[in-house]
Amino acid sequence: MKKWLGVCAMSLLLTGGAQAAGFEARAATPAPELKAQDLAGATKTLADYRGKVVLLNFWASWCPPCLREMPSMERLRIRMAGRPLAIVALDSAETADEVNGFLSKMKLGFPILLDPDGSNTKRWKVFALPTTFLLDASGRVRYVLTGPTEWDEGEALKIIESLLAESSPAKAASPKTAFNPAITKEYDQIGL
Amino acid sequence: MKNPVDPMRLFRWLLLGMWAASFVVRADMPDHQVFPAQSQQLLLWVVSERGRAEPEVHAAQQLAAQGVETWSLDLVAAYFQPQLPSSMDAMPPQDLADWLRAALVSGKRVAVYAVSRAAVPVLRAAATLEPGERQGLCVMLMYPNLYTVAEPLAEPDFLVVGSLSGLRVRVLQPRRSAATPWLPGLLEHLAKQGATTSHVILENLREGYWMRETPTEFESAESRRMDAMLLRELKQWGCE
Repeated sequence: MKKWLGVCAMSLLLTGGAQAAGFEARAATPAPELKAQDLAGATKTLADYRGKVVLLNFWASWCPPCLREMPSMERLRIRMAGRPLAIVALDSAETADEVNGFLSKMKLGFPILLDPDGSNTKRWKVFALPTTFLLDASGRVRYVLTGPTEWDEGEALKIIESLLAESSPAKAASPKTAFNPAITKEYDQIGL
Repeated sequence: MKNPVDPMRLFRWLLLGMWAASFVVRADMPDHQVFPAQSQQLLLWVVSERGRAEPEVHAAQQLAAQGVETWSLDLVAAYFQPQLPSSMDAMPPQDLADWLRAALVSGKRVAVYAVSRAAVPVLRAAATLEPGERQGLCVMLMYPNLYTVAEPLAEPDFLVVGSLSGLRVRVLQPRRSAATPWLPGLLEHLAKQGATTSHVILENLREGYWMRETPTEFESAESRRMDAMLLRELKQWGCE
């Protein structure tokens, strides 16, 4: 009987685990090439973010989970101001007009890149949106997340802090991650 | 004194009963809803792993009213499976092949329309048909999910379903889908298995637009016009 119960319990655990979203650690693999234009038409590559931890988010304006996590990315940007973290949102296979239409409704302070022909989406082998890659300061892929999360809290924040700590151990525990009235004021201004 | 009921024994009997029931269900062709019509055209509509949505029923009724007999099959419901893509992979191809043959012997021109992961059992069933039988079929796949592996940073891998030689397959791909950039690879994969392929991009639509929680106005309108879209694509693909 105990054996049966054990099998049932294990099945439930496995099923539950399969449904839960989570960060997938990667063995520090070199990142694929990123080459995309921002909304002003300037070409950006990963070299533009050299020396920083990079949060590279693949999204689309038609994707509800992508839009749900955007405010938390903006809060993270404000919270991490002055620290070596670059948040980059690459829109997958849409036109600039479609992206600008969305941005007129949600103000975001991090750079938005365009991938109208999906070439970056294919190079990075993205099959679901949102998909987010966390790169260390050496430009290596360290974590992948398929699906949305709240970027300014919990596991996401811990992982980002750990990558920042690797890149600059002395500055890891920045006072900016603690309560800061100036940040709260900026949250209020952008309606987050 | 009454013997206490052993809960584990009850549980075993319950499992045994479910197992036996699943064989009773599988011993025949899968149950389907029929929307009868008098013309010589028959559409076999296999809904996605998420089950049959009301707009799909409405579209099937509209098609029948326009003379296209429609058989609507909800595989996960017919086989008491959970509404998951993996449930589609467990469907017995032979049952579905029997269903296709039953349609073919009706003497009508037969087209199959499968949504999402339902493409897997449909193509597997088509692969078990004789080449002559396959040539009598037209297949339309709405955003087919044929991945075996779709991991970030890894090359995609598609299911090998068997020989599709002689089978005409048209893929209907909503533009607003993460799968759209991968469509050329999917078509190439189907062609390698012998299918003759074509595709159409459905602009301004997302996957499953007829069952979205928050559809756009355009998606709602297109849900109501699904019968017209299917007739148009059948005509484009020469499956009238």
